[in-house]
Amino acid sequence: MTHMHIPDGILPVWLWLSGFLLMVLVLAFSLYRLRGMDGKRKIPLLGALSAAMLVTMSLEIFPIAYHLNLSVAAGILLGPSLAFVAAFTVNLMLALLGHGGITVMGLNTLLLGAEAMLGHTLFYLLPDRLDTFWRAALATVLALFLVSLLLIAIVGASHVDVQTFGHTHPPEALPEAEHPGAGSPALSTFAVMVLSLGAVGWLIEAAVTGAVIRFLSRVKPDLLAHVLHKDTCAAHAAGGRK
Amino acid sequence: MIDVARIDHWAANGTGPFHRASVMSKLFFLFCVVAAAVLSRDPAPLAAAIGMLIMLAILCGLPWTTIGFLSLYAAVFASVYAVSLRGGGRIAAVVLLKAVTPAYAAGMLIVSTPYPRIFSFLSAFLPEVLSAGLFMTYRTLFILLDMMDNFATAIRLRGGFTPGNFLKNGSNFAKGIGALLVRAVERSARLYAVMAVRGYSGSMAERSIGTISRNDWLPAGAGISILGLALWWN
Repeated sequence: MTHMHIPDGILPVWLWLSGFLLMVLVLAFSLYRLRGMDGKRKIPLLGALSAAMLVTMSLEIFPIAYHLNLSVAAGILLGPSLAFVAAFTVNLMLALLGHGGITVMGLNTLLLGAEAMLGHTLFYLLPDRLDTFWRAALATVLALFLVSLLLIAIVGASHVDVQTFGHTHPPEALPEAEHPGAGSPALSTFAVMVLSLGAVGWLIEAAVTGAVIRFLSRVKPDLLAHVLHKDTCAAHAAGGRK
Repeated sequence: MIDVARIDHWAANGTGPFHRASVMSKLFFLFCVVAAAVLSRDPAPLAAAIGMLIMLAILCGLPWTTIGFLSLYAAVFASVYAVSLRGGGRIAAVVLLKAVTPAYAAGMLIVSTPYPRIFSFLSAFLPEVLSAGLFMTYRTLFILLDMMDNFATAIRLRGGFTPGNFLKNGSNFAKGIGALLVRAVERSARLYAVMAVRGYSGSMAERSIGTISRNDWLPAGAGISILGLALWWN
């Protein structure tokens, strides 16, 4: 639930345009950081993990209608910069499938990318003595919680006014009785829904991410040894020293 | 699960007027419908727009019911937001129609345009890493979807599913996802090897904007009509 399925035309133009602008900036920074990467190896890897994210997103968990994101897992495996590129790729494809509005794609990429980046950072900040499962699970819960707060902040910043929204008439012309309960945007309702439904989802996502990362640490530990993107950092560091 | 393989089949094998139109005109059509949804503040023009889109889909031989189901997926999540607004039935109708109308137009685009053509168009504007990444995602997606088709069966056959035992089932499901990731990574490495042998040098998606043809009047005209209706209503 940490990306918005809000349709087009709900959020104010300034907000989703800002989202697009910020997404472009972060994307440009990510691409700048990846400029020295081994593209021949990383592009197929990026595609493979983005596809895995898309596949898991298409699997709905009954009965809570939650779908996994695997964004934290992608963050841990791809590294923050490449994971943000994966978030963009996934969101572009999802927007074309009607899974969230096209105009909110920028904000959604920022949310999903933040999830991956935070997940990556938290996973490697947590002490090594913790079991891999718990490191990944804790990183997932914390990342999803923080990004959910960001989502609520975005919706709060939108200041959707239901008095004017959905009408072509000026607000003062609307009879009060037409909108029982309509007043300020019910941000608290939205926050309660996101946090309560989301909390169940975070736990499921944390359990799956923890188990997946533990499984990978046993079956293919080189994925967790950061070989996949540390070589990029090493190449940059070597380039910087020259 | 969204049946991406079936969508791809329709996109690649259709011969209707929408299929013959260029990517540029269909993206323009989508842009107009999104703009109409953004500008509309009343359910009536949006309801008229969705009606027009359904008629257009039927006339063009597109799988209009499937597109409808795809667009309803957007409505499910929009309904949560609509409820949270507490603005009454009219507001809820606007929110739902704002979700469904662009989603239906996006559905019309994807069932009539193979993804490589869309990526080819986008690659003219996107950095190479992104366009190539999009194309590679698309290629790997079908491989993974095939594997996922057999996922539930494989878990059952290997005794990995125990009714009522959520912990065990969850653990096996997660291991399955882990295996999926391993295969995805292995597949990417194999793809790299194949591409390197074939002379891959960092660029793979064909860059083409395409040209305007007489087949483009339909999506372009439909898009302008829907946007015009929304503007006129306002």
